Order: sequence, then C-alpha cells, then structure tokens
Amino acid sequence: MVGAITRTPLQNDDTILLPERIGDLTGLDAYGTGGELLAIFLAAFLIGNLMLAMTGVAGPWAKRKITAAFTDRIAVNRLGPAGILIIVADSVRLLSKELIIPENADRPAYDLAPIVIASSALLGFAVIPMGSGIHLADPEVGLAYVFAVAGIASIGLVMAGYASSNKYSMLGGLRAVAQNVAYEIPLVVTGMSVVIFAGSLQMSTIVEAQAATFDLGIVSIPAWYALVNPFAFVLFLVANFAEVGRNPFDTPEAPTEIVAGYQTEYSSVYFVLIYLGEFLHIFLGGAIIATIFLGGPAGPGPAELGIVWFLIKIWAVFLLTQWLRSAVPRVRIDQLIEIGWKGLLVLSFANLVLTAVIVGLIA
Amino acid sequence: MSSGLERTRPVETTEDDLEALLGDRALARDDHLNAPGFVIRPDDVQDVLSDLRDEAGFDHLSCLTAQQYEDRYESIYHMKKYADPTQEVSIVVPTTTDDPVSESAAPVFRTADWHEREAFDLVGIDYEGHPDPRRILLPETWQGHPLSLDYDQEKPQLVTLSEHANPIQPDHHDAESDTMFLNIGPHHPATHGVLHVKTVLDGETVVDVDPDVGYLHRCEEQMCQQGTYRHQIMPYPDRWDYVSAGLLNEWAYARAAEDLADIEVPEYAQIIRTMGAELCRIASHMLALGTFCLDVYGDFTAVFQYAFRDREVVQDILEDLTGQRLMFNYFRLGGVAWDLPEPREEFIAKTRDFLDELPAKVDEYNDMVTSNEIFQVRCIDTGVLEPEVAKDYGCTGPVARGSGVDYDIRRDDPYGYYSELDWDVITDDGCDNYSRVLCRMREVEESAKIIEQCLDLLEDWPEDEREIQANVPRTLKPDADTEVYRAVEGAKGELGIYIRSDGTDKPGRFKIRSPCYHNLSALGEMTQGEYIPDLIASLGSLDIVLGEVDR
Repeated sequence: MVGAITRTPLQNDDTILLPERIGDLTGLDAYGTGGELLAIFLAAFLIGNLMLAMTGVAGPWAKRKITAAFTDRIAVNRLGPAGILIIVADSVRLLSKELIIPENADRPAYDLAPIVIASSALLGFAVIPMGSGIHLADPEVGLAYVFAVAGIASIGLVMAGYASSNKYSMLGGLRAVAQNVAYEIPLVVTGMSVVIFAGSLQMSTIVEAQAATFDLGIVSIPAWYALVNPFAFVLFLVANFAEVGRNPFDTPEAPTEIVAGYQTEYSSVYFVLIYLGEFLHIFLGGAIIATIFLGGPAGPGPAELGIVWFLIKIWAVFLLTQWLRSAVPRVRIDQLIEIGWKGLLVLSFANLVLTAVIVGLIA
Repeated sequence: MSSGLERTRPVETTEDDLEALLGDRALARDDHLNAPGFVIRPDDVQDVLSDLRDEAGFDHLSCLTAQQYEDRYESIYHMKKYADPTQEVSIVVPTTTDDPVSESAAPVFRTADWHEREAFDLVGIDYEGHPDPRRILLPETWQGHPLSLDYDQEKPQLVTLSEHANPIQPDHHDAESDTMFLNIGPHHPATHGVLHVKTVLDGETVVDVDPDVGYLHRCEEQMCQQGTYRHQIMPYPDRWDYVSAGLLNEWAYARAAEDLADIEVPEYAQIIRTMGAELCRIASHMLALGTFCLDVYGDFTAVFQYAFRDREVVQDILEDLTGQRLMFNYFRLGGVAWDLPEPREEFIAKTRDFLDELPAKVDEYNDMVTSNEIFQVRCIDTGVLEPEVAKDYGCTGPVARGSGVDYDIRRDDPYGYYSELDWDVITDDGCDNYSRVLCRMREVEESAKIIEQCLDLLEDWPEDEREIQANVPRTLKPDADTEVYRAVEGAKGELGIYIRSDGTDKPGRFKIRSPCYHNLSALGEMTQGEYIPDLIASLGSLDIVLGEVDR
C-alpha cells in the first residue's frame, strides 16, 4: 500500500532563523556583529520566555486541572475564571517562602544544582523548530545537541542529591543517575533510527523529511516518523518518560518511598527552580518527540499556524504524562533498571539495525 | 444455617486434659469468665507455654495482660487456638511486689516480645530473658510506670529531645560496615500516621527494621479505667482505629462488658449492630485499598480518589444511622442508641443503592488495580508472610487470612447475628502483599452480602417488636474480681478487650488487644532482604492505624 515517498532535498540552508528575522525587522543587521549578537539575544529571550511561560506558569495550573479531572475532583476554582489567577497567588507564595539551607549542605554545589537542572532543559529549546519562524539555531548536529544538553540535567540531579547532606536526597540522586544512564542509551539509539530515515541530524531537515505524504488509496497521511516507524515511537516515548522521571518511572522522587528524593532539602526559590526544571524537561521531551516523530510544526492550514500545531503536540505529550501519573503504578528501582538494560536497550538496537537494513534496501 | 460457615474444629481440650498436661506446674486455679485459668510459677512460663502450644494446640498467644494488685503483680497470657478460638486458656503468672521478675515468653511466641515490652513499660514487670527489654510506647527516659499503683499521675513529666534519645543525633558512620541507617518517619509520606521505622539499609536493600511506636499513645486503657461501664467508656473505642472502624471497636467493648455484666442483647439490636459493623468494615477496607495504592502508585492517584469517593458513600450512610461521621458512639451496653433513622424506607433504599452499585465499583478496582501488570509485578511475592510466622506474631484479620490462616472471629467465635447469615470467610494462600489486597477486596463483597441480608431482616421486622435496647441497670457494678477477655473481628483483625472488675462501677483493669500492634510487629520479618519500595508497600498492606497501635 505504501506509495512512493516524495523526498525533498536533504540539506537545507535556506531556513530563515529567528535572529535573522529580528535583525531584518529591527534593522539591527546594519550594526554589524554587535547588532547580530543583540538580535540573537533578543530571539533567545523571546523563546526562553515563551517556554518559561508555558512550563512555569501554565504548566502547574494545567497539571492541577488535568489531575483533578482524572481523579474526579475540581481543583483550583476560586481565583479568576477556572482558578487561573491561582498562578499569581502561587508565584507570590512560592517566592516569599523562607529559603532553608541545611547546615551541612555542600555549597556551592547545593546552590548550583537547581540552576543546572533548569537551564539544561532551557538550552535544548534553542534548536527546536517550532514553526511560524520561531527557530533560534539550526546546527547540523541539532539532535545530538539536544540529547547532550538534556543529559546535563543528570549532573544537576546528582549535585542536588549529594550536596543536600540528606540520606533521602542521596538515595534519590543515586536512583536518578542509575535511571538516566539506563535510559539515555535507548533514547539516543532510538533517536538514531530517525536520523537514518532523515539522513541528517539537523532539526529542520528532520522536520522537512516528514513533510512528505503516503498515498493510501483515497486518503494520504503525512510521513511522520511516528507513523512510518511506530515501534521506534513507542520505544522513544517509554525511554522519554524514564528520562524525565515521570510515572511509571518516577523512582528518583518517589514521594512515598524516599520523601522527595534529591529535592527533599530544597525550599523556596530553589524548589521553584527544580520544579521548573522538571516541567521544562517534560516539555523539552515533548518538543523532541513532536519534532522527530510528529512532523514538528506541521499541520493543516497555512504555515503561519505552525507554532500552534507545535504547542498542541507538546501539550499532548504533557497530557499523556499526567494521564500515566494518575493511572499507572510506579515500578521498583531494580525493576526499572532491568526494564532499561534488558528490555529497552535490546529493543532499541534491534530497531536501529532493522531500520538501517530497511532504509538501505529501499534506497 | 449457612454451609459456608461450618468449619472443622479440633478435638476440644478439656479442663481435665489441661490439668493433666500442666500437672504440678499448675499451682492453683484462677478461672476467668471466658476460659479456665491456671496459676503458675514465674520461672515456668516458657515451659508451660511451649507445652500448651506443642501438646495441646494452643498456638495463638492472643494477648498478654499485666496488672498490679495491692500484694502482687500479675501477667496473664490469654491463649487460644487458631483452629478454634472458643478453646481458650489463661495462664496467670503472679510475681511479688518487691521483685516483679517473670520469665519471658518471647522465645516461645515472638508476639510476646512487644507484649512484654508494653507490660514492662506501662505496669513495670521485668521479663527475664527478654531479647530486647526496652520501653515501647513511652519515651526511653520516662520515669515510672503509669499503670502501676504507686504512679503519681499528677506529676508532669517533661521529656525533652536532649534527654530523650535523639534519633538524629548519633553519627551512624561506621567504618566497619557498609550499611546505612535511615529514619523512616515519624514524618514521612507513607507511615500512615506517626510511625517511626528505624531502618538499616545495604544500598536499597533492607537489612533490619525496628518500628518505633508510641507517638500517638494516649493511655486509652487508663482513660477507660477511669470511666463508668454504662456510659463513659463507649466513646473511647471510636478513637482507637479512628479512620472508619468505630462501630467495630465499640462492639469489642460492648461484647466484653455485656459478658461481664451478663446482659442479653435483643435480636433486633444485634442485626443493626451487624449491619453497622459491616458498613464500617467496608469503609475501612476502602481506605486500606486507597492508601495501599497511594504507597504503590506513589501519588494521590485516581485509585486513591475513587476509593475515597466510594468510602464517602458508606460514611454518609453511617452518619445517617449514628449521627456522626467518625466518632459514632452509637452502641450501648445491651443494644444501640437508637433505631434506624426515619424515614426508614429512605435509609434502607439509600443503603441498597450503595450495595447495588458496589459490584460495578469492585469490578472497576479489579480493572484498574489488581489486574494491572505493573501492580502485580510490584506486589506479588513481596512482603511475604508465611502462615507459621503470621501465627507466631499473633497476626489476625486480612493479614493472617492473606497468608492462608483460616481464622475469623465472626465465624469461629460467633457473636452478633453473623451465625444466622450466609457469607464466607475469605482466605488466600499467596502470603504476599497482593493476596492481602485481594482478601480485603473480596471481604468487601462478603460484607455487602451480610448488609443485604440484615436490610432484608430489618425491613420485614414487625413494628412493635423493634427492641433496640435491653433492660440494663443505670449503674453497673459487676462482682469484684470477675475477669473476662473477649474479642471481636475488627477491621484489622482480632480486637480483644480484657476487663477485671473491682466491685465498683469502673473497671479495675482495662486492657486492649490491638490487632494492628501485632500485625505491625511482623513487619521486620516480612521485609528483611527486600527493597525500600517493598518495605513501604508491606507497611501499607498491613493496613495499620497508629491510633490503634499506640492506643
């Protein structure tokens, strides 16, 4: 049934990135390198704030509403329509809390950890093409870059766990490392199978490669890699849940077992930063999934709507994490490691080899 | 009446058999209302108890009551058979006031360990050969023994953290070992109240567990000793297992006191009691399911909320019946406080609605919880409690039945209206966390069957024969030195009450046998060598309520 895949040119150097656009619009281009730098900063500022607004402001409110819907509750409904102004109240509350730092905390690691956790995820958004021209940078190693910066978060988790001088934090930190090591490899290997399809690590190329369509008789469906290789998509989803530490793989925090894991001793602004980092990671995970499996900003309607489709896809992944959180039990730490090394790793390599063979045969 | 309630009972051990078995070791007789009692010497305890267990089949050390008289201390070992709890014997061990030392029974029954620690803590009897002679309910530095006669209740005691063993003070860095000491609780998301579990870990593996209880100790026994039988004691049982099981607790006191004062309860009131008690059991098991899922799922998930939503319906029905949500105070000696609420039909219809919806809800739980593969991976073969170990620790209720111990007081030592109804005792041979959950869920269905039959009876009961209360004197003064130990099947297991009357209108000694206390003592055995998550899950599957553990 699969018809011919119409391919677009592999490399594309004609993508217009956000800094250039800003440079054009504001006339900063005329000021040479300094102007370009300023345009880049402006673009990064815009994208950073868009993501922070989504994860830090809308995320927690949406999470409360979504979880409440799953558990037959109403959740926040007093301040503003649908309780939306609780965001303001929460911000004031969280920022005005006392910052308690344990006596034996290992500083400055203790202070740096929240920043590392939050910023590593934020860096990842730099190479994500979000549609409507919102794309900060498009290096040729885009996908490798995203995995690399997202992986930095593990260091933040260990720092937080170790520096807190708390046994629960320690256990949580150790669990986080064990988990990230076990699931990072399947994640990257599964990502590589997409690279084999697209023939490039560059994000814009991967997105464009999915712009083709299959002809299935009457209807034609987009050649999103989630549809081309659903097996890889599922593997990537599972590994991603472990990577962002959400049910059924939320063992590093595991509230009923080790209190709050690596974040046990964090309060006030530090706690906010860690929490923000976690949300950013969920959304970054969603962004990677949307980009390499769901066609990025592709969707019906004019290309200007790209960002809308892109956000919808990210939120769909977020919704899925919340669904799992409400409905699925947590696996034990040893079972989690077992699933990672004995299951996902083998499957992801099988997927990689099969993909390589099939792509080789077709080409 | 029902076929499901028959059980084969072992040959009865008669008093003659017991006398022959004990021989010279029985110094005298000290019979209680519920059982023959034998007085033995303080250094014969292990000998006598092991003989009773091995030769006569008394494998259930149900309770140990310690008390002080003017001239002596006394430890009473209440023995039963798991195969037939109507066969009882009390072993009375007196010791002198000057030197209250008695041989420890802990080497024979491991459940005696915690019991004797409590007896030492509250009454002041020393048990020779006890493996771990520490206080258990009160802080280590407490002065005196609150239930002894010379204790000054008026004198305030300040037990500061610096005087008291500070749990975070010792440096546990031990160069010799690779283990880590971890305090789980008293403030921890999964301890179901204020429980402190001192844990030694090797990596994530549990090496040793020592539950530290007593944070919620209110000396309920003493409070009951200061109240009059007729009215002042009944409100207290609601505060032992305070989450949902109020009526079951009240029944424990009612049963013991009614036997003591020889009160007959009208049949109609017994049906209401049976119905109310089973409603409480459903509410309590719903809570157990919800909190267990909270421990395994790791968050306030859908299952927890669903369980609470369904429990809320039961809670509403109980509120209609008793006028209270949790602290019911509904039973009276000789009956209940009032009849079903008017309009009667409405109450019955409401309860029936709940019962009609229950099967669909249980199916939902089975879909969401017990058939979930991750849940099964987490629960099957974890927290294993072998039946022999369960008996050794005196485990009862769903915990024992989940280990295949076929023991349910409602059937084996019938009270109320249970023997007239058609229902089954649920057991499961899995011995693990999973089978304990299954047991509770299936018990919910059995309870529903009981309530259904009670409703049928109540609905058809002739209006002029609705007698809710027997004729009980305003002031009860049972004969001095009458002793009785009676148990009912509470939500967590065998909830027993020992009362000794001293001729006044208040008990001379009031002892509570808490099922949670026994079940919790088996935690270490269940979790050694398992992972922390399994420790948490096992603790959840024991379904303890600290109000009842600490009393």
